[in-house]
Amino acid sequence: MLEHLRVLDLTDERGLLCGRLLADLGADVVQVEPADGSTARQAPPLPGTTAPTSMFWEAYAAGKRGIAVDLDRDDDVADLRRLAEVADIVVTSWPRALLERLGLDPATLRAARPELVCTVVSAFGWDGPKASYADTDLVVWAAGGPLAPHRDGDLPPLRISVPQAFLHAAADAAAGTMLAVLARGTTGRGQVVDVSAQEAVGVATLARVLATAVGDDHPEWQTTPGQRTGGRTDQSGSGAATPNSLKKWHCADGMVELHLSMGPAAGAFTNNLFAWLAEEGAVEEPVASWDWRTLPDRLVAGELTHDDLDVARAAVRAFLLTRTKAEVLDAAIRRRLLCMAIFDMADIAASPHLEERGFWGHVDIGDRDVRIPGRMAQVRGPEGPRVRGRAPRLGEHTDVVLKEWLNR
Amino acid sequence: MTTDALSGLKVLDLSWVVAGPLIGRTLADFGAQVVRVESSVRVETARLMQPFHGGVQDKEGSALFGNCNAGKLGLTLDLKSAEGQQVVRDLVAWADVVVESFSPGQLAKWGLDYDTLAATKPDLVMLSTSIAGQHGPWSTLAGFGNVGSSLSGFQYLTGYEDRLPMGTFGPYTDYVGPRLALVTLLAALEHRRRTGEGAYIDVAQVEAGIFFLAPQVAHFGYDGTIAARHGNRDAELAPHGVFACRPEDGNDRFVAIAVRDTGEWRALARAMSRPDLAERDDLATAEGRRAAQDELEGAVAGWAAGQVASDVERLLQDVGVPAHLAVTSDDYPADEQLAHRGHLVELPHPRHGTTYVEGPRYALSETPGRPRAAAPALGQHNEQVLTEILGYDADRIAVLTEGGILR
Repeated sequence: MLEHLRVLDLTDERGLLCGRLLADLGADVVQVEPADGSTARQAPPLPGTTAPTSMFWEAYAAGKRGIAVDLDRDDDVADLRRLAEVADIVVTSWPRALLERLGLDPATLRAARPELVCTVVSAFGWDGPKASYADTDLVVWAAGGPLAPHRDGDLPPLRISVPQAFLHAAADAAAGTMLAVLARGTTGRGQVVDVSAQEAVGVATLARVLATAVGDDHPEWQTTPGQRTGGRTDQSGSGAATPNSLKKWHCADGMVELHLSMGPAAGAFTNNLFAWLAEEGAVEEPVASWDWRTLPDRLVAGELTHDDLDVARAAVRAFLLTRTKAEVLDAAIRRRLLCMAIFDMADIAASPHLEERGFWGHVDIGDRDVRIPGRMAQVRGPEGPRVRGRAPRLGEHTDVVLKEWLNR
Repeated sequence: MTTDALSGLKVLDLSWVVAGPLIGRTLADFGAQVVRVESSVRVETARLMQPFHGGVQDKEGSALFGNCNAGKLGLTLDLKSAEGQQVVRDLVAWADVVVESFSPGQLAKWGLDYDTLAATKPDLVMLSTSIAGQHGPWSTLAGFGNVGSSLSGFQYLTGYEDRLPMGTFGPYTDYVGPRLALVTLLAALEHRRRTGEGAYIDVAQVEAGIFFLAPQVAHFGYDGTIAARHGNRDAELAPHGVFACRPEDGNDRFVAIAVRDTGEWRALARAMSRPDLAERDDLATAEGRRAAQDELEGAVAGWAAGQVASDVERLLQDVGVPAHLAVTSDDYPADEQLAHRGHLVELPHPRHGTTYVEGPRYALSETPGRPRAAAPALGQHNEQVLTEILGYDADRIAVLTEGGILR
């Protein structure tokens, strides 16, 4: 869909994903690396002891072409400026000071080419009081809101164990870039797209960052179902207000995620679960016949108590220990349960569903054929996004890109 | 007078909760006219979720709903009725884009699926978002985003090695899916602009989630390594963690600190008044610091416990060490960087006086986006949509109203 677009990609690990998404959509994305290689080539995971190969690089530089330039050589930097003059899009996450020193900052590039869309990805934004802050993924996660409310008991707040913040920002950068491309279709002019990772991750708090602003001084999600904390119960069905330990259950070969949802919106899913238990003789009356859609009202009215809920939970706990992850997944589909196996990377790799949908792309990493996520979405009509090939080797396409883009 | 990036774009939003509505939210920010259809009888889940205005649970008070739907026109409709379905067909005829998140197969039962709609409108761009996609063995899976985060690997990857997996904060793939959906949708609009061809886009939250774990997927494919959770530690950087500081007003306070290289390590050690650690040879490499991780985390924790979290942030940033207060919702409105970018946007609200939503996450210099209005109340724009957009006359609207269709 984007075969007509040329993208000059000046990102490091912070913005690497942006160009991958645009390349998947068909754009000609040229990844620029300093002569000694992108720092993204050192981003974990890094298997191997002799010559570590970054799985981050291999996954998110896939499908790009690569050129290497010596940033200390004026001729090489001049080449980058010339490439920017024939590009539709420049996307960068290099430090501002470096871009300005090299004359590759958005203002300079757009002065030379007003049609250019110039997208900058940074931790806090191009300018402002924290623009020059030292950053890492964890620091952005803390600054943008998702970290603080995520507690496991009394322990300090917890991040996801692998970097995520800049992936949100880089995906946003691709969307912001496309908005600017669409605007250019009308106005003929390019513009600067300034992406802040701190802003990007606010959405990952489910609007918790807005609580104080709208005057909610007790937006505690860690309420117990049926317990009238702050005068309300979690009726969302999403389980967002339910503490972790009440949503994780052991099964025969691992763990499952299950939220006993109640209330009119999602109580029916729990009715389906108890219908399964009842068929298998795993729950007794009167719990077996509860209508979970009406449970919040019955708890408020005092007809049922917290102890009654514990009886129901004990029945579920005992039952799930007799079932495998695959059986739970199968039942979730057939019986419409809000219940799911907790998958690790081996489970994902073995998924028949992902295989059948053609989700995987194959790329060479070193001498191995490796599957990576290949389709961010499936499209009918025009050719949809798919990974176009492996990540480039250092400087692999320098000559051909200079020839094609600059007629050298 | 600036043009909007999506000026003139017409969008019918049939989605609900978070993953779908966030897509239309961005389209509205950048100038599209978005009609959001919902039911006042089967109230959409996001309206039932906190945070709430004034802390009072009310279907017109959810800041989550407000954040996902600002700037849209709200129409309430009984989609199960033939008359309601006809209104949808008329809206499709008006729209350039349809976004929906029903269970796969539901729209086909109503004759509102892409194949049926595209038969008379071949340039339609339609996007379906669901947990596992529109086809495949898992496509009938019911569920919210926390099901997505279980199947995409995030649940397993969040928590401490020696404890239950903690899982993500909320339905994590709801935050990932709409970003990848939006990129694809905007690319389809660019394709349509150039060729006139429409598109059907099938987004699966599980697949979008796995996209954000592509390096871990590659690692498994490369040598069979199954990525594991390890608290707040990093595979390379050390020290790397979240540390309790001095409580403020009875509230726990935390700061995140991460050291990227030996220079930063020495700066941190000196800031902690620990020249002994700064000078130690075994800590002069990342490998050495990882080997001493328990000791170093203990030293940082002991030091941080007596400090004010925001002071730690400033002190360490002044010497170039990555550090930041763990921002809470109390801190969020006052964060000077977010304020500089105008990220928190105040909007007039008919019921609450004012409300707040997050602004766009990218500042466009020539065609900036902004939320145009607060999210609609249930049925707030019924009259406007039916009259101005669809050209229905008063009699037709009266029939729909009396028939209970506009609920």
